[in-house]
Amino acid sequence: MNNTPTLELTLTELCQATRLGSDTLIEIIEEGILEPTGSTPETWQFSNHTIAIAQKAARLHKDLEIDWPGIALAISLIEELEQQRDENQQLRQQLQRFTPHKP
Amino acid sequence: MEFKDYYDILGVSPDADSQSIKKAYRKKARQYHPDVSQHHNAEEKFKEASEAYEVLKDREKRAKYDALKQYGARGQDFNPPPGWDSENAFNEKYSTQFNKEFSDFFSHLYGGRAGSRDENPFESQYEFQHRGQDIEIDMPLFLEETLATTTKPISYHLDGKNKTLQVKIPAGTANGDRIRLKGQGGSGYAGAANGDLYLRIKWVPHPLFDVEYHDLILTLPLTPWEAALGTKVEIPTLRNNIQLSIPANSQTGQRLRIRGQGLKSKIGNGDLYAVLKVVMPASTNDTTMRLWQELAEAEKFDPRPDWRKAT
Repeated sequence: MNNTPTLELTLTELCQATRLGSDTLIEIIEEGILEPTGSTPETWQFSNHTIAIAQKAARLHKDLEIDWPGIALAISLIEELEQQRDENQQLRQQLQRFTPHKP
Repeated sequence: MEFKDYYDILGVSPDADSQSIKKAYRKKARQYHPDVSQHHNAEEKFKEASEAYEVLKDREKRAKYDALKQYGARGQDFNPPPGWDSENAFNEKYSTQFNKEFSDFFSHLYGGRAGSRDENPFESQYEFQHRGQDIEIDMPLFLEETLATTTKPISYHLDGKNKTLQVKIPAGTANGDRIRLKGQGGSGYAGAANGDLYLRIKWVPHPLFDVEYHDLILTLPLTPWEAALGTKVEIPTLRNNIQLSIPANSQTGQRLRIRGQGLKSKIGNGDLYAVLKVVMPASTNDTTMRLWQELAEAEKFDPRPDWRKAT
């Protein structure tokens, strides 16, 4: 069997994939946490990556009881933190290649 | 069954009021939330705290738990007193929204599902139908495998069985990308749709190349005389070996760009950078020493001009 990945989702599909109601998703979108292409909810298209962000937003909302603007901030900070961690790890690895091995 | 000391888990005393329980839970939740924490067993710690809070925040659940604690339950082997029934035996088929199953201990006391956690209007329309669980697994991918579209097998555990799928991975798939395979997650209940399978791509660190966005970095060791005189070196790329010219008077840290030999991406190929690293030989013989000596006398090179300016 060959499985070709699905790339774009509609709002309804996103509701199903994240198990979030469309009201919640629209709130998340209005806060700028998710950025669909298309101008109206009927024509919105979401990338696969969106599911993970929406789920993360919903988890933070529920588990830590943060409001949506707070989540928008948390998510952009977490994203930045993850980038920094990746970069840190890259630089560390490069530095290690550059430093002579200790006997 | 292991007895869970919920007070201990949240770090509160058994007579703590609801305010301090909430505060303690919030603190643990922020500390160990899997979306935030780097702690190696953050998820487990977070689940534990959620479970404890689920019980202790609810007056009835807490009373039931306290009564059970009174019964003298301690330690690893815990058997509930006779006639102590779980409230709801029907929940086995359900999975909680974020794969957050509670312990056996919890299930035994309060049934399989933490009822108040699911407030999804989308689901409540269907009392019995329940969409299958989503599954997310890491898929290791070698850098070489990102150059062209490849098909890889992925094996995972589902509904008590091992399942293997052949998955097409498009060229240029990046680290952290998620591939969604619709309907390959847990089976839906009572005719509802299956869950999805998500593969999260994890690049396997390469023994030679580091990655910067779509560019590859290769550390290229040179002898001092290769750096001084220039040379041609055969270097590896992800695709094949190529000849690289090193100009005379090269420096440690200098980057030589080899266009188009980086990773594949949606916006075209990245580049490969060879970062030069001048290496001293580990040992010297008399001849070499004499040559270095000659060089030292002939060359007026000052590697520390900045120090002189500063003092």
